[in-house]
Amino acid sequence: MSSDQDHLKETDTEARFEFKKDENAAVKSDKGLTEEVIRMISEDKDEPDWMLERRLRALEQYQNMPMPSDWPGMPDLSELDVEEIIPYIRPDVDKREGVDDWTELPDDIKDTFDKLGIPEAEKNALSGVGAQYESEVVYQNMQEQWEEKGVIFCNMDKAVQEHPELVKEHFMTTCVPPSDNKFAALHGAVWSGGSFVYVPEDVTVEMPVQAYFRMNSEGMGQFEHTLIIAEEGSEVHYIEGCSAPKYGTHNLHSGGVEVFVGEDAHVQYSTVQNWSKNTFNLNTKRAICEAGGTMEWVSGSMGSKATMLYPCTILKGRGATDTHITIAFAGEGQDIDTGAKVYHNAPDTSSTIESKSISKDGGRTNYRGLVHIADGAENSSTAVECDALMFDNESTSDTMPYMEIEESKVDVAHEATVGKIGDEDIFYLQSRGLDDDDAKKMIVAGFIEPITEELPIEYAVELNRLIELEMEGSLG
Amino acid sequence: MSAGTQVHANLTEEQVREISGGLDEPEWLLETRLEALEALDSLDMPDVIKTPGREWTDLHELDFESLVDPLNAAENKDQIGPDEADVLSWADAVQEHEELLKEHFGSIVDPQENYLTALSTALFSTGTVIYVPEGVDAEDVTVRTEQNSRSLFNYTLVVTEESSSVTILERQSTGEEAEEQYYSGVVEVAAGENSYVQYGSLQNLSEEAYNFTVKRGVTDTYATIDWIEGNLGTQLTKTEVSTELRGDSSETQIVGAFYGHNDQHFDLDAKVWHRAEHTTADLVTRGVTDDVARSVYEGVQDVGADAWDTSSYQRENTLMLSDESEADASPKLIINNHDTEASHSATVGQIDREDLFYMTSRGVDPRAARNMLVEGFFVPVLEEIDVDELRDDLEDLIGARLRQRD
Repeated sequence: MSSDQDHLKETDTEARFEFKKDENAAVKSDKGLTEEVIRMISEDKDEPDWMLERRLRALEQYQNMPMPSDWPGMPDLSELDVEEIIPYIRPDVDKREGVDDWTELPDDIKDTFDKLGIPEAEKNALSGVGAQYESEVVYQNMQEQWEEKGVIFCNMDKAVQEHPELVKEHFMTTCVPPSDNKFAALHGAVWSGGSFVYVPEDVTVEMPVQAYFRMNSEGMGQFEHTLIIAEEGSEVHYIEGCSAPKYGTHNLHSGGVEVFVGEDAHVQYSTVQNWSKNTFNLNTKRAICEAGGTMEWVSGSMGSKATMLYPCTILKGRGATDTHITIAFAGEGQDIDTGAKVYHNAPDTSSTIESKSISKDGGRTNYRGLVHIADGAENSSTAVECDALMFDNESTSDTMPYMEIEESKVDVAHEATVGKIGDEDIFYLQSRGLDDDDAKKMIVAGFIEPITEELPIEYAVELNRLIELEMEGSLG
Repeated sequence: MSAGTQVHANLTEEQVREISGGLDEPEWLLETRLEALEALDSLDMPDVIKTPGREWTDLHELDFESLVDPLNAAENKDQIGPDEADVLSWADAVQEHEELLKEHFGSIVDPQENYLTALSTALFSTGTVIYVPEGVDAEDVTVRTEQNSRSLFNYTLVVTEESSSVTILERQSTGEEAEEQYYSGVVEVAAGENSYVQYGSLQNLSEEAYNFTVKRGVTDTYATIDWIEGNLGTQLTKTEVSTELRGDSSETQIVGAFYGHNDQHFDLDAKVWHRAEHTTADLVTRGVTDDVARSVYEGVQDVGADAWDTSSYQRENTLMLSDESEADASPKLIINNHDTEASHSATVGQIDREDLFYMTSRGVDPRAARNMLVEGFFVPVLEEIDVDELRDDLEDLIGARLRQRD
């Protein structure tokens, strides 16, 4: 660990994530989902008519779609009442589009992100940072060197105003249309904030671009939209971090992520998700990958009460590649239902999915994955590997992969293993002088290493600390 | 959705009474049938897998109105077994083993589990009861069913007492071919303490036929149930083979082989429920899809909270011989006890090009080389079969089907 990481060591991780702030709201919508609320959000953002129309169409689709109910073993969503969720809160920030100087933020918001370590992270390792508080991006900055090359990194609301052609073409049209699922429709109606990333042809953004999403108010929903367009031959790594303090009522996070990977472009999308344990995390994330392009999803799902999230890649062009690396950790009362979807729609495409999960204290993890190889996607290959570690007998670990193979010239392999933490491994480490807790922590750290090594050190450290936190003191 | 109304016009209580009366059945059995008939209205089709935008098997395509003809069932049946065990036709079993039937009938497969099990319970007119007394080793029990009518509903019960063993070969084929036929079979196996059952099945019905089967066993302490499931015939098969490991230290193996060609559709489920301590399961399925055939495989290993020290393994491999065929698979693990060692793996691919190259470079004609490789692919499954006749026949049928190819 380098000295750059000292701020992570110094702050108590739990305190960093769980502290709460008094509500800071300039504009706050009513609870529930009505046309009035949608019009109010759109008006408050001074949106063009076409965006309002898209929102209203999505609302109609939302109202016409049933809640998912017939998935085997799906998380219990009965406590989720969308009508009780406040879909929009604009924090009280002077400049509507957020500020680009950290010192201009109101103290309480600045304090929040300081505690989360955002400014230091930016200073040390990142090309640009966006920070979203409730429904709005409050801070956005992009280093000049990338701006000069034509890279755009701004909040989504600003992109609607300043880059309407790009947004009009890509926003919830081909990648994640609102008709995709009930929560995509919900997102399409009430989305607010999020990031817009545009990387021109042949530009490589060498340092990761980061966005941080923070939910602070009780009973709110956060619906940020992330749109990434990587033109031919370009390269970018986008990282998002999410957190929310814990409240008595339920929060809803229903984000939308759309990634367009141009020919031979390379996009990595990394997430460390640590929503509070009353949050329903129901996201739709999807990438469309053109010929020769590479899409990499790296995600760590730690928090939330229930997560249903299956990042999806459509391998559209010949020779496109997809990589999924995911880790899920479910503790007491948590149901983390996550996995990956890959559609091989062109020849010579390949994908690998590596999924790790840990369940303890009655938590449930499930790998739910779909690999579809279309007729004509010859010479495609996919390898799926799931490993689950269980700590105790109250916990549950499931694996539900689905494979639809319509093409014969393919190489498809799936394997999964489940096991308890090895008594022999623990004995070995104890015989080398470690106590029981430390031995288990070390085994877990080794178990999740494939993902931490894909993350920038900042996030890897954070992920390790989160897992340590989850495991502290309660090991059986 | 309930499909009950589809068939009801054709089915009456009188028909069920006539079937039951013709077999001289006791009142309780008639009641069970009538309750199943009545339940049809409220029951759903068996579960099938759904993924975004598709249902893997469309059972609603089945036109029961024209398929079910319960009073005109016709078959040729052989029910052969060694003297030490009872291998009885249904009519004989009703007379000789009523207590046994009362204890086990419908106890393993709930007659009202779904629409098709209820239909089978209400209408079955033929069956076999295999009873193996304590300590008896019964080899080579053979049940051959040749279907000669539009529909045939078959029921099989196997009961093994303590420390007995039995190997059973069941075959289904079509004699007189009608345009479309429906074969429905329910098999229940109760394996007593420390007993061993191998139940092999070879389904080679006409390719115009539809087939629905449920084979399910429960194990007592130290018991073993091994299933061999061979599927070659029918245009649509929906079948489940499963074991509930209810006794400590009991074991099961589910071995499947299938070969789909033309426009055949196989929906094959292999399931095991670990419900006791120190239980072991091994699921192995290998199959081929050719032409525009489609295979749908669901394998479930479910480990209950009380199933300490479980070992559970599953493998599924599909070989695709044509570009137009489709192979779908979902091997599921449901683990509620952490003292478990479980794994599954699934692969789909075509014949290994290097193997083919190697053989042709040694002078083997490409077509023969391909056939040999497919036959070789099935070897790990064939090796698990105790009954020679089943192994040889399965091998021959696979060989014959391969030689049919251009």
